[in-house]
Amino acid sequence: MSPERHLRWSLALAALFLAMGLWLEAMIGLRAAGWVDDPLRREFLRLGHAHGGVLALLNVGVAWALGQLETPTAWAGKIRRATLLGALLVGGGFVAGGLTHGPTDPGPPVLVVPAGALMVLGGVVATALVRPGDRVPGGSR
Amino acid sequence: MSGLSERPGLWLFGPAALWGAVAIAGLVRTAKDVDAWGEVDRRAGGVATSRACVVCHPAQHASWSATYHRTMTQLAEGTAVLAPFAGESIEHIGFRATMTRGPNGAPHVTVAPVDGGDPIVDADVVMTVGSHRYQQYVASLDRGGGADEKWRLPVAWHIATGRWIPMNAAFLEPEGAHGDAGDFLRHLSRWNDNCILCHNTEPVPGRKDMSGRVEFKSVVGELGVACEACHGPAGGHVARMGDVARRLLAGGGDPAVASPRRLAAREESGLCGRCHGNRIAKDVAAVLTGGDGFLPGTDLAGHSRPIWADSKIGGSDELPFAQRFWPDGTARLSAYEYQGLLQSPCYADGQGLGCNHCHDMHGGSPNMQVRAGRASSGACGECHAMAADHGGHGQAVDCLGCHMPRITYGLLEGMISHRISNPDPGAWIGRHDQPDACTQCHVDRSRTWAAEAMVRLGFNNLGGVGREAAVEEGWGSRVALDLFGGDPVQRVLAAHALTRPGVTMDATVRLAWLVDALEDEYPAVRWAVWRAALAVAREAGSALVAGLEGFDPHADVPTRLRAIDALRAVAGPGPFAGAPERREALIDRQGEVALWIGE
Repeated sequence: MSPERHLRWSLALAALFLAMGLWLEAMIGLRAAGWVDDPLRREFLRLGHAHGGVLALLNVGVAWALGQLETPTAWAGKIRRATLLGALLVGGGFVAGGLTHGPTDPGPPVLVVPAGALMVLGGVVATALVRPGDRVPGGSR
Repeated sequence: MSGLSERPGLWLFGPAALWGAVAIAGLVRTAKDVDAWGEVDRRAGGVATSRACVVCHPAQHASWSATYHRTMTQLAEGTAVLAPFAGESIEHIGFRATMTRGPNGAPHVTVAPVDGGDPIVDADVVMTVGSHRYQQYVASLDRGGGADEKWRLPVAWHIATGRWIPMNAAFLEPEGAHGDAGDFLRHLSRWNDNCILCHNTEPVPGRKDMSGRVEFKSVVGELGVACEACHGPAGGHVARMGDVARRLLAGGGDPAVASPRRLAAREESGLCGRCHGNRIAKDVAAVLTGGDGFLPGTDLAGHSRPIWADSKIGGSDELPFAQRFWPDGTARLSAYEYQGLLQSPCYADGQGLGCNHCHDMHGGSPNMQVRAGRASSGACGECHAMAADHGGHGQAVDCLGCHMPRITYGLLEGMISHRISNPDPGAWIGRHDQPDACTQCHVDRSRTWAAEAMVRLGFNNLGGVGREAAVEEGWGSRVALDLFGGDPVQRVLAAHALTRPGVTMDATVRLAWLVDALEDEYPAVRWAVWRAALAVAREAGSALVAGLEGFDPHADVPTRLRAIDALRAVAGPGPFAGAPERREALIDRQGEVALWIGE
């Protein structure tokens, strides 16, 4: 994934989850059934909105950091995919879990949240640790 | 970074892939696990208690915590005890009950003859029963049933008035004999095989017949009416839901517990009817030993039969419960709401309307727990689209006013009937043994007037108009006749009717009627009339308010009569002031319709 595409997709993801905030506010204003009267759904949609938005902005930071730190291309491409996909899974997993929740717990889609979190975490740690001289076998910088 | 640098994909995506594999494997395993989904022995897991339920159901726990169900039975500690126990006392039929606190702060009740002698009750309170209308108190007293025996004490705290009452005054029975300890203690009743059953969760009376005497080893799953009273023992459910994957896949519910909203009206209402519909167990001895055996969500009829007017027990031909019903079979006491539902056409033999249609155990006000939007006519509109002028009363009277009239007595109050029916005052012309919906609001009118009004309103299909009215029909309104000549339930309901908002008579006239009816042989009737008079006096801004506030319906006869004479002098003439012989004739009839309705 190119740096430009990473930045564009990160900002698009931020726009998506920020727009979701407008939707949630509208539902409060309209006293939408299934939202104001469903605390579990409300909690998980809010979690999705907040995590998705913050992790999208984190991706903007990662995109900037990868350039500043001159991270090798082979690493940088995979870090971009991992952090971007991870942010989508965390935000989307909370939302989907809240929309499909049972009596006491979110729906099964919430299981993708830990997977996404691990990807984001791995991407951030790798951004911090991988140095410009690090190479992958058979690869180039 | 040399090791790390060789496999970026593994480091970045490996942990997530591993988690995904574990999660999918867990879901598949649980989805295929028969034990995670199938029927279970719901009693085997035992009671989990509300402390376990709150972990996953905090909102439901919070709404239940606000209800009177939760506080139905509590240990007599802290704020659970609503009465002051600061040295108050009441006197009744020659005995004085004094309420104090012991050295350790425990509430204490002593009952002794007013004119001296040993106490007949001297006990610490260990539990409270009730917290809505009045609170009763339970003490550990070994009266031959062992150390675990507990007894409901003969006095209770009436919450709305902030007064103590003798328990004799909470039931429809004539006054006891002055100085008779047995009469004072009529309702000193054993908790272990009475109160325990409907006021607690998963109760087991634990009765044991020991050579010539009876002992109790009573246990309850939880004090008060808690989660598992309606959902059934939840130990198996809690164990099953310890599996995260099972919870994530739980959209279809869990057969290990009953979910009332998923039940048909028959089963859903049966779990309310367990306590709100007095019944006769198929095996009473088994109930007193091991509990009633009923599992919420199953058919209540499998364990017991509802009590009806013609119910018999023990092979006897007597009808011991007939007094609890009006002549047309409608229950006239509370705790028979289930019977009223069963008699209602809306119930449709268990396929139609159930308790949950109008009531919500997890929402709304704790007072009556009515479902949002289902108060008054909102309960009926889903099925009955009526013209705006149906009934001819406009917005002043809702559906319940006519179809669920206030002809039920319970807990010292008048209440609505739970038998949904069509008013037919004409059917009772010539009779004086049952109130009708119309004259409970039109308190200045006769039943003949009501029957004729029904015809004028276009309800021509109802019978009775033209039937010969009783002579007394011309003496006064139906409520006035009931207030002085009805049976004790009618007298209480007549007093209650005179307090209702929107009744068609001036408050000062109603107050005069009530003051004229203050003396009554039944302590419970005196109490009801006194409360009604005080409410109407306050409504009217009457000078009698202070006098009524100082009136004691349970004082001795001379004291009461002196006070009533003073009140009558101010209140003005009663309904039969111009014809005292009619008043006497009606009061004479009271003796013909004596009631003994206890627990």
